[in-house]
Amino acid sequence: MQIFNSGLFWFIEGILFVFVVLGMGAWARDRGLRVPVWKWGLFMIWLLLAGFTIAFVGTSFGEGESVAGTRGGLLFGAITIIAGVGLWRVLLAGAEPGGGDVVSEA
Amino acid sequence: MSDNESKNDGSGGPGGGSDVNRRDFLKLAGLASAAAGGAGLGAFGYAAGKDPNTYLGWQNQEGASLVFNRKRYEVDEPTYQEVGPTSRPDARVEQIFERRGRFMREYMRLRGGPGPITAESFPEPLRSYYLAKPQDLDLDILNTEELQPLNRADAMEYSDPLILSQAWSAAMGAVGPGPINGPPEVNDFPRGRGGTRPEPMKMKDPAKTAELIKVISMQLGSTLTGITELNPDWVYGYPIRGRGFEDLEQPLEIPDWWTYAIVVGTPMSWDPMYANPNYGTSNDAYSRSRIIAARVAAFVKALGYPARTHTPGTSYDLIVPPISIDAGLGEQGRNGIMITPEVGCNFRPAVITTNLPMASDKPIDIGVDDFCLHCKVCAEECPSGAIPMGDKVEVRGYRRWAIDTAKCQNFWTSTLGNMGCRLCVSVCPYTRKANWLHKTAMKVSANDPTGLSEKLLTSMQKSFYPGPDPQDYYMPSLGGANASYREPPWWLKTEDFIDLG
Repeated sequence: MQIFNSGLFWFIEGILFVFVVLGMGAWARDRGLRVPVWKWGLFMIWLLLAGFTIAFVGTSFGEGESVAGTRGGLLFGAITIIAGVGLWRVLLAGAEPGGGDVVSEA
Repeated sequence: MSDNESKNDGSGGPGGGSDVNRRDFLKLAGLASAAAGGAGLGAFGYAAGKDPNTYLGWQNQEGASLVFNRKRYEVDEPTYQEVGPTSRPDARVEQIFERRGRFMREYMRLRGGPGPITAESFPEPLRSYYLAKPQDLDLDILNTEELQPLNRADAMEYSDPLILSQAWSAAMGAVGPGPINGPPEVNDFPRGRGGTRPEPMKMKDPAKTAELIKVISMQLGSTLTGITELNPDWVYGYPIRGRGFEDLEQPLEIPDWWTYAIVVGTPMSWDPMYANPNYGTSNDAYSRSRIIAARVAAFVKALGYPARTHTPGTSYDLIVPPISIDAGLGEQGRNGIMITPEVGCNFRPAVITTNLPMASDKPIDIGVDDFCLHCKVCAEECPSGAIPMGDKVEVRGYRRWAIDTAKCQNFWTSTLGNMGCRLCVSVCPYTRKANWLHKTAMKVSANDPTGLSEKLLTSMQKSFYPGPDPQDYYMPSLGGANASYREPPWWLKTEDFIDLG
């Protein structure tokens, strides 16, 4: 488990995070969405929330606190999903009529 | 890439599909990365939860990086308050072991005599104490007449599954410096050649000396070390050791070389501690703290200064928790003991008194005082009802949390745990692993001026980390189920190693 205490793990997580952001950008362009900075901010917060939920569940089970893992997972998971739905609607609120750009239609 | 370019490149003809592919690739990569990143975080969390290195303990002798940065939480006054004329504690009756020892001697003498045994039957200082606190006389009699015989019978019936735990506790308690038998004027001073007192070394700077003592004590095994000027109010009014039996009735004059207090200590082993009251032991941390204190005292004496150790379980001339709080190691919790930012209540301190000139640490305020107002987990989980659900009270001129030590000891007399209960240590939300989750929660609580996080964290604590019903901690003979807060570690499960027949 030494990998998780190393810089390498967070370096890899950082690369994956960059790909998530790039993928999100590509998806938004496909849909013709305008994503101003504040929406990116919301997206980052949601990612943080999702990451926290996953890490909370993992940590709790690692500690042997399965009740905390289950209840916390359900609670934070529900919050993450509801927030995700809200975020989805906020993101789509900027969609241009007719969908994405020509590339996505090609 | 602009929209126009996209339109032109989007035909799918030779050389024209690259943007579509690149975008699709990015979307796919983003999705895969989200899955991989999430899985990584889950695995990281699991590893963090399992990691034994997040059990901050005696083994981290050079673990300065694990020690909480107290600087920004330093305050001028500790979070208990001086509210009236103060006085020193009378250990003869206020120290539970000392009082019950005296009670037993007198009670055995009185039991054969005529008439009922009342507070008036006892000599001073027990008489005055029991007249002021008649409920403690009832609890002391209950302990002697009912709980101890019951416990002996329970031990015959139920202690086999605890053999490994008891063996481990015995092993931990097998080594350690003996009690101090000499009075301060004899015991505390170093001996030079020919038995004369050596001249103390001239130390250059109190701040540097404090740093030296801290680093030396950590090298000697202390997990946390703090230094404070000794408040005389924490020194017992009467000695309970280091004098002849007759001298114990003479007031203890505080020697003028008890200027400073060095507080050292270590946590109890974590996994057994969570399995209190049955599987934990105080002996492990007691033994380590005694050894560390003796070593630090030897170091100080080797510099030519007097030093006296005050160590667990009962070899004290003073009360250790408030001194530890004065030394900036933590704050007092509702359960009456000190809560540190690193190991919560899981800390068994010892003190070395000396006049080696050192810079004092400041007390800290990490929000424990406010947190304990709302939390009450320890009070709710305490089977004996010894921990108050109400507010702080004034004790000898100080406003602080005060537990009912007679109720407390009566419960752990009734259990089969290793000389103690320690449940209030196990259930405290601050007594958690030093991993990202609990460190973050602690810092959020310490830095939130609104108090909202305290309420939220308390709710989460109660919902996410439930324990058995308090009554279940009692033995079956007292209507309980002999429960433990958590499962013992695999190496203390007797039935996996020993054929119990």
